Amino acid sequence: MNAPDKNRAQKARRSLAAFVVPEVALALALGLAGCGGGNASTPASRASADYFGDITPPKGQVFTFNNGAEPEHLDPAVMSGQPDGRVARLVFEGLCSSDPKTLAPVPGVASRWDVSPDGLVYTFHLRPGLTWADGHPLTAPDFVWSWRRVLSPSTGSRYASFLYPVRNAEAFNKGEIADSTQVGVAAPDDSTFIVTLGQPTAYFLELVAYYTTLPTPRHVIEKLGSNWESAKNLVGNGPFRIVLWKQKDRFELVPNERYWDRANVRLTKIVALPIEENSTSTNLYKAGVIDWNPSGYVPKQVIPFIQHYKDFSGGPYHGMYFYSIVVTKKPFDNVWVRRALNYATDRESICKYVLKGTVPAWGNMTPTGYPGYVAPPALTYDPVKARECLAKAGYPDGKGFPKFEILFNTSEDHRRIAEAVQAMWKRELHIPVTLSNQEWASYLAATTEKRYDVARRSWIGDYMDPNTFLDMWQTGNGNNRTGWSDKRFDALVRGATLEPDPAKRLAMLSEAEGILLEDGPVIPIYHYTQSSLVKPYVRGIYSTMLDVHPLTHVWIDHGEGDVVAAAAKEARP
Amino acid sequence: MIPTLWAIATLTFFLMRAAPGGPFQSEREIPAAAKAQLEHAYGLDRPLGEQYVRFLGNAARLDFGPSYKYPTQQVKDIIFASFPVSLELGLWALLLSLAIGVPLGVLAANRQNTGFDYGAMASTLLGVSVPNFVLGPLLVLVFSLTLYWLPPALWMSPADRVLPVITLSAIYLAYIARLTRGGMLETLRQDYIRTARAKGLPESRVIFGHALKLGILPVVSYLGPAVARIVMGSIVIEQIFAIPGLGRHLVSAAFNRDYTLVLGIVVFYAGFLMVLNLVVDIMYAWLDPRVELA
Repeated sequence: MNAPDKNRAQKARRSLAAFVVPEVALALALGLAGCGGGNASTPASRASADYFGDITPPKGQVFTFNNGAEPEHLDPAVMSGQPDGRVARLVFEGLCSSDPKTLAPVPGVASRWDVSPDGLVYTFHLRPGLTWADGHPLTAPDFVWSWRRVLSPSTGSRYASFLYPVRNAEAFNKGEIADSTQVGVAAPDDSTFIVTLGQPTAYFLELVAYYTTLPTPRHVIEKLGSNWESAKNLVGNGPFRIVLWKQKDRFELVPNERYWDRANVRLTKIVALPIEENSTSTNLYKAGVIDWNPSGYVPKQVIPFIQHYKDFSGGPYHGMYFYSIVVTKKPFDNVWVRRALNYATDRESICKYVLKGTVPAWGNMTPTGYPGYVAPPALTYDPVKARECLAKAGYPDGKGFPKFEILFNTSEDHRRIAEAVQAMWKRELHIPVTLSNQEWASYLAATTEKRYDVARRSWIGDYMDPNTFLDMWQTGNGNNRTGWSDKRFDALVRGATLEPDPAKRLAMLSEAEGILLEDGPVIPIYHYTQSSLVKPYVRGIYSTMLDVHPLTHVWIDHGEGDVVAAAAKEARP
Repeated sequence: MIPTLWAIATLTFFLMRAAPGGPFQSEREIPAAAKAQLEHAYGLDRPLGEQYVRFLGNAARLDFGPSYKYPTQQVKDIIFASFPVSLELGLWALLLSLAIGVPLGVLAANRQNTGFDYGAMASTLLGVSVPNFVLGPLLVLVFSLTLYWLPPALWMSPADRVLPVITLSAIYLAYIARLTRGGMLETLRQDYIRTARAKGLPESRVIFGHALKLGILPVVSYLGPAVARIVMGSIVIEQIFAIPGLGRHLVSAAFNRDYTLVLGIVVFYAGFLMVLNLVVDIMYAWLDPRVELA
């Protein structure tokens, strides 16, 4: 090891230790508490054996949670992150809201809506007397303006494609037509908003619940330009408004007195913290500083120690962890090579031994949870078949197989999984595999430009439909990133969009997924799970597949007696 | 000072650009039009040379433009909002290290080779060798998660400050104690100290009136870089304790390829370090008349 290398290794170890040690310490603390009957060491009034840490409710209706990171934007039209979305959903309200338990569309700004029999025209009827937080009236033309703004190329919205089902939206967004009035949105009067789609879209209402489609205040933006995105200038129409925003410190929100459903907002203050370090977030939860540690902010290593607590909530999450293969390069242009890699991947062992059973092994590209969708059979671990496939590809017993790399971004888990896969492929196929670790930005550049052989990837669904996991694999889609292209697949996915019969549509998507799996540009590994912590005195937060949590009606239960007993009554899913 | 700052800024500018990737990329595809729009807005579609010249011109006016990752924030606003936090954390830690480190070193020197001396030096050795990313979580484990006495993170109430300040000060406290002891031991053997003692001065006046002024010089020369480091080097602590300081911004900015924010922070740090070194030189001359200000 030469000097610079050594230096780098030390640095790597140093930064690694910085992130691992807190988790080890936490695990240790939990271990101690568990083994020594050590809950005696925590004041009995503050902690209980059934819950993780302090369960003293805060004074009044103040709710504190970790938002995970500093939001990049406050403007719903251009934002693209979960922390941004959580703030946006507090400050703005769209045509539909989501039911906190099922995420089914429920009336929001629109009190009701009608859909034409051909599924092309959606008519939203807005509530009377709506206003923005500054008292300015909120009307249907505001939605027309907001949606056109999302689609305007000069806005640079990253999620503009959410509105592509709307007629001419895609062409306008891509600059193919310049006239925004051709986009299928209209407001015949102040309380009616009409959307005309280019083709029927079964999940359109789910898209309308997404933050990109939230209304934005024309009267403020036209006056202030991009300066409107500050705590002082931001004007929303949602249940809360921002009173304090300190970078990397916190957001403070209070109820918007002009919100139409103000009577049912019980919290008097929300504090949102931007904590990136999962162990720090979990420490704050245990110490009782935060009331909600949303999914993804509990360190994986700690989960086995705390999943028995009543305030821990697990369950499936709408995301997939998989490997993808660039199919335009030799030897991966050969389908038998890809199948060999697929069959040689023992995802059950990875989940059981490497990930300690915290996530389920999953061989499909689509997660669970779509009523009526019958997923095609997955390629399961079969070393004999794997060797046969490799022989068919012209590499019997791995002879002559060129050296290649597994690319992953910096993370202890990604590394351990990659090492396990490397060992499996070497053991079963006798092929030379090396590992390549890159930090996030370099990794993104490499995968986007298809400069890799095999890469660790993941995908989080946007709406509850298998389409959100399949349309990305169409020829030339920017999220495909493998160069894989199949005409039958493309035709099925496109055809499914136009198919009016729901059962037939799902069957077509299932057939498409079958083609994708058989052709092997992807190796699904596991199904994401949630792991969140909610204090027992918090009411109104439920585990949902999309990990979206409307906080409008959340409140703090002071129990009028026994908080723990009250929590037991309302069994958390 | 100006040429050094220029060299640092130039090096940082080109190193950042040499790193793979850029500020506008995501696990989900960014539409080509949106990406082009963003790059145009930030001038990233211009030739690199032109970008560099523009950056230098703006940097000279201390205007680094908006952050790429947080476009609603100006780089200078981010620095002005977060630096005071790092500074406060650092100054409390420095104060604590001096308040305990100097007396500890003086006492240890005065009682050389006694049990107290050995005990003090052994514990400072521990302070030097236990890294802050071990000490911090250990303190959190004991005082926040087991005893529930102090908050485990954040930077709002006075109680929030206790653990990070202790964690940050440990290593400086240890160094200061050891340097004070060394400096004092040397000074106490000097002729003028013997003279002072021969005059019959009380021991406290010998030490605090005469010996300390010279004996503390190693600490003073250590303080210059230490102050800079104690304010800048709290990156790990700011991360563990979720403190909204400048160090946390620097790390995430580099990972995000937030060119403007990285450049702003690096230039700011470099300038700050140079000013501090100047101050230490001046202090040195004031404490020890043998040193002349060139």
